[in-house]
Amino acid sequence: MTLFAVACAVIYPLFHTGRPWLAVYWLLPYPNTMGMWPNFRSPLIWDVFAVSTYGSVSLLFWYIGLIPDLGTLRDKAKNLWQKRIYGTLSMGWRGSARHWHNYEQAYLLLAGLSTPLVLSVHSVVSFDFASGQIPGWHTTIFPPYFVAGAVFAGFAMVITLALPLRRLFGLQDFITDKHLDNMSKVMLVTGLIVAYGYLMEAFTSWYSGNIFETYVMKNRLEGPYRWLYYSLLVCNVLAVQPLWFRRVRYSPLAIWAISMFVNVGMWLERFVIIPMSLHRDFLPSSWDMYYPTAWDFSTFFGTIGLFLALMFLFIRVFPAIAIFEMRTLTPEAKVKEPAH
Amino acid sequence: MHAETRAPELHGLLAEYRSAQELLDATRRAHAEGFRAMDAYTPYPVEEIAEVVCDHHRSRVPLVCLIGGVVGALSGWALVWWTSSIAYPLNIGGKPYNSWPAFIPVIFECTILFAAFSAGIGMLALNRLPEPYHPVFNVGSFRERGSREGYFLCIEAGDERFDRTRTREFLTATGALEVHEVEA
Amino acid sequence: MSAIDNPVPADRFRAPDELRGVAGRALVVGAVAAAATAAGAFLDADGFFRAYLVAWLLWLTVATGSLGLLLIHHLSGGRWGLALRRPMEAAARTMPVIGLLAVPLFFGLDRLFLWADHARVEGDHLLEHKAVYLNPVAFTARTVFTLALFALFAFLLARRSAAQDVEGDRGKAWSMQKLASIGLLLFVIAMSFLGFDWLMSLDPYWFSSLYGGIFLAGAAIASLTFLILVASWLAEREPMSAVYTAKRFHDFGTLLFAFVMFFTYLCISQFIIAYQGNLPEEVTWFKERFHGYWAWVAVGLLVFHFFFPFLILLHRSVKRKARTLARIALFVLFMRWVDLIWQSRPTFVHEGLPVTWIDAAATVAVGALWIHFFVRALASRPLLPVGDPALREVLGHD
Repeated sequence: MTLFAVACAVIYPLFHTGRPWLAVYWLLPYPNTMGMWPNFRSPLIWDVFAVSTYGSVSLLFWYIGLIPDLGTLRDKAKNLWQKRIYGTLSMGWRGSARHWHNYEQAYLLLAGLSTPLVLSVHSVVSFDFASGQIPGWHTTIFPPYFVAGAVFAGFAMVITLALPLRRLFGLQDFITDKHLDNMSKVMLVTGLIVAYGYLMEAFTSWYSGNIFETYVMKNRLEGPYRWLYYSLLVCNVLAVQPLWFRRVRYSPLAIWAISMFVNVGMWLERFVIIPMSLHRDFLPSSWDMYYPTAWDFSTFFGTIGLFLALMFLFIRVFPAIAIFEMRTLTPEAKVKEPAH
Repeated sequence: MHAETRAPELHGLLAEYRSAQELLDATRRAHAEGFRAMDAYTPYPVEEIAEVVCDHHRSRVPLVCLIGGVVGALSGWALVWWTSSIAYPLNIGGKPYNSWPAFIPVIFECTILFAAFSAGIGMLALNRLPEPYHPVFNVGSFRERGSREGYFLCIEAGDERFDRTRTREFLTATGALEVHEVEA
Repeated sequence: MSAIDNPVPADRFRAPDELRGVAGRALVVGAVAAAATAAGAFLDADGFFRAYLVAWLLWLTVATGSLGLLLIHHLSGGRWGLALRRPMEAAARTMPVIGLLAVPLFFGLDRLFLWADHARVEGDHLLEHKAVYLNPVAFTARTVFTLALFALFAFLLARRSAAQDVEGDRGKAWSMQKLASIGLLLFVIAMSFLGFDWLMSLDPYWFSSLYGGIFLAGAAIASLTFLILVASWLAEREPMSAVYTAKRFHDFGTLLFAFVMFFTYLCISQFIIAYQGNLPEEVTWFKERFHGYWAWVAVGLLVFHFFFPFLILLHRSVKRKARTLARIALFVLFMRWVDLIWQSRPTFVHEGLPVTWIDAAATVAVGALWIHFFVRALASRPLLPVGDPALREVLGHD
């Protein structure tokens, strides 16, 4: 899911450079005949490093995680080409204990490295905005607020996708009610952190005494896009509150409905942060309205389609749940200390 | 005329067990007997077995990862510092050329990138993967069951205490379902 | 299921008698240090208030941070929290003492805070705008309300926990969890405003929306380091030596590692954003803190508050040894104090000595007096929540 989402996300900055065929050439640091180097003080370049590190480490993590299962698929393969492909990809994995010994360490390290990586990626994305001077953008709460928002949106998306799959493929024994309960709790907690971010923004907006800062808040409450801001509060703050109650957390339909609200809400949040802060900044003579064009909508729906297509292809070809990890839960897997 | 046939070289003896617990007990006994050139095969990681087979040595992957991280940090720092101060200094918002706070994100990402890849590739290298051929795949039941539900112990012919018949008896005595000969 | 469902009798985990000795010694040390501090108040009133502010904030964060960790524990479970529940409750229960210890500060609000000085506020556009929030009455009311709220939650949680010892669980764990969920929400908001009030408003022209978060993270570290020290003291004596095992200390060390990283992440984020934006209204706070020798203190913080704990806590073996971890924890707690100095002192002192003997006296006075009440609270209850259904996990093998 991560990789496919990154693939979709990358399309936007590439397009927005105006000449995407040159973008790679501009953004990546490599020695060239013009002696030019990118501006490493720009958060846009930090973003290049952060997102590509995140993408490649996720790819590595994903692949390394798949190796034992690819070995299983190789052994189960019915025809020669399947066997060859899975065999090559699994690198000759044979389940050797010596290999598992190193493997487990690598897996733990990758997981341990991925956590600060996730935090850093979304913090760097937040720096894209917070480094600027526009009120509504330049505020220090952004890094943890974006990270919480990302986890929030991510869990909502996982729920949106996993719950129908669970129903369709009868995966209730793998994705249990307890899992749903925990996922809902994470959604609730991250939703509350996002709400805390809204609270802090609102407070500092007033506290700063800076007329431009204060106006951003006024614009959100009274300006032409105010209904989007109210919808945001309904979707991201109000809609998750039912998750305080156990009955709601154990009802797949309720959780799924709430996750849809959150998906919409997180889109609204990005809209509130970006166009709403930009359309009315310092100089009233520059104020205008932003209306998305047909191209904006088609790109958006296109990426949704791309994401879903990649997800379905993935489920068709690769194990959706790590087989080898599931095996550790079976009774035969239990080992005890010897009796002496 | 018949083609000359030599008895295939023996890689070792492969014993199959019913469960991880049985395999663990057998591996412990083999280790106690003094066998060292051996390996156990499980469909999922079993820490206790790995400990015995690796003779309680710790994996070197964390060290490789750490070295990778340090190299990453230094490379990242060298890249940003050199390009921004020496090779192509740009006046960005009046900030100094050696604007270290602005370099932190890039250096951090390079550290994580190098550390992660060192861990992943280092693990593969330490495991000597990719290894498309391994004698143990010559055994039919290993090919069928190895990666899914089989628990195997292989004692290699190269081990000092290896003896074709006596080791076979030992393995059968540990409760093996079957003992196969592994062609090299 | 029997009505009384105790797996373990409460007596088994009675606090060691030595604790009473500790409480007594703390009281004596505290009294002496308090006398010295009082003398300092007469000799150098400004210096006294600045020193007392940092001293009070350090021990406030230890107590309130413990409440925060307790609330998190009730929501997340986990053996680390079960083993530390009684020390956390004891620290949280001392909230009224923290409130009383704050009283001297209210006599010097106008020396500490610009906005409390009526002469300075008049005519200043920005300060007048903030005056509805930043004025002595509202400020005092907020602090009193916050500490009262914290005291209430501490009391409610501790009472249920104590009842659980005697009566067995009977739904108490569940009710504590429910309390904790609403409690944590209120706690996070209230602590953020406490941080805004007591530290951020030292420079009333400056603001940072992340400051509340940084204050919270700092409190988490301060309280965890203190709790580690308590655990290591108890681990060397019966009855807790079997409970505070190497595995427990490993958990504590991992938590400390995570909190240190998180705190550093927040501080660096705040700094990078201010640096990149380079806005005059934001940069002044940082400029003061990188001026002259304060820059060296900042470097010292980066090295000793981040790099040193980060690198040393990577090693598994370090985290498992109680004594080693305790030393690291003590050092990090000291760095918390240095950080509080770095955050507050540059507002007042730009050259000359940044700290005086009054700083040491005040920190020891507030600390020792608080520890006296903490120890008394800790000794009054069994050291483990004997009625908790999850207790077996902590007592069993792992």
